[in-house]
Amino acid sequence: MVTAEKRAELKATDASLIDRIVQRDESALAALYDRYSGMLSSVLNRILRDTQAAEEILQDIFYQLWRNAAQFDASRGSLSGWLLVIARNRAISRLRRHNPASGDELSENTVVIASNLESSIARQELMSKVKGALDNLPKEQRAAIELAYFEGLTHSEIAQRTGDPLGTVKTRLRSAVETLKRDLHP
Amino acid sequence: MSGEHPTRPEDFDLYALGALDDAERKAFESHVASCADCAEKLAAARGRIAILAFAAPPVAPSPGVKETLMRQVIASAEGPGGSLARVKPEPSDGGVFARWWAALLPVATAFALATVLLWLHNEQLNRQLADLRNTIQQQQQELAETRHQADLIAARETLVVPLWSQKGAPEGHGEGHARVLYNAKEGMMTYDGWLPSAPADKSYQLWLVPMNGAPISAGVFNPKNGEMSHMMMKLPAGVTAKEFAVSLEPAGGMPHPTGPMVLVGPIS
Repeated sequence: MVTAEKRAELKATDASLIDRIVQRDESALAALYDRYSGMLSSVLNRILRDTQAAEEILQDIFYQLWRNAAQFDASRGSLSGWLLVIARNRAISRLRRHNPASGDELSENTVVIASNLESSIARQELMSKVKGALDNLPKEQRAAIELAYFEGLTHSEIAQRTGDPLGTVKTRLRSAVETLKRDLHP
Repeated sequence: MSGEHPTRPEDFDLYALGALDDAERKAFESHVASCADCAEKLAAARGRIAILAFAAPPVAPSPGVKETLMRQVIASAEGPGGSLARVKPEPSDGGVFARWWAALLPVATAFALATVLLWLHNEQLNRQLADLRNTIQQQQQELAETRHQADLIAARETLVVPLWSQKGAPEGHGEGHARVLYNAKEGMMTYDGWLPSAPADKSYQLWLVPMNGAPISAGVFNPKNGEMSHMMMKLPAGVTAKEFAVSLEPAGGMPHPTGPMVLVGPIS
């Protein structure tokens, strides 16, 4: 049976769980882990294609949250957004074998996500929406977005990888982000 | 761009995506560092780009990660030595007290030893408590999933699709079986099946093949030797399935099937 305590944690906002982490409440960290570890594990595995490396980074991100939760200011940005940005930065740094990008701290990297991702239903709905929006992009635009997002390649590096002219790559990415912005954030 | 606002709104998204080359990136950063308006636009662009993570095929972390994390957290909260580290011996006053110290030394040693043993016991109890909390959370999650599965099975429109191994499957991966329950209206799907372990650099990936359009990834998994795999996932609602399939893909999965199909279950 799902206990009243568990139900309360499922409904608790990220901000209230962060407050409890600041008070050194381990169960609040466990609740945030249950809420967001699947989302982070998916993107880490997609970027790294290495389960062990992905799990190391996943654990490290939540441990950083435990140690530095007091730096987080919920009025400036969303926790889910920060977690996604940090997970991607760290995975790409590992992939490209350079040190983690700066701006890794909770107070430095403000990320505003239009949707509230605190419920699993909201996350599942967003997953369908994002997949649908990417499926609707022309094949070359989708490939360029995936190379930039999941492999951390710049315009020039994508041009080098695909053999397409730099100008073409720039146009494709610009069109892709415009279309995604329109489809996902009307 | 330095000193001036970015000329196009998409520049914020391209920066958040990491697509700008060095010179463009530095110019953008030098401007945003001193422009509150642009910093706000960048925070929104970071959010727009961050959600592209949801295009990744779902992969659940192993339960051991949470267990290790919680142990690390408990260890950091209490610290090696904990309160013991703060216990300092009383300063000796020499002479008169020397004999007292000599007499009390065995008692103090015994007391210190008892304190250490109690601290170790406390540490062990804390670890057991964390394990129990993890177990309870896992069981609650499993129970919630089982209930959801029961509701799914009971629904009239739910399809039950057996998946069978394929003759052309790679050697060692041609034996397996699975069952998929799919409720198109809710977009809910469960998978229960057995397959031999995937090679170290590979993963199995489950696909929903719709009547129209490209296969949709329904999850990546790596079964351990001899163990059944159970998964429950949410897919876009209202998709009419033609068949379900499991393919062998590079570790972590692929956006589209690239490897051999090891299990297939057409909808009759």
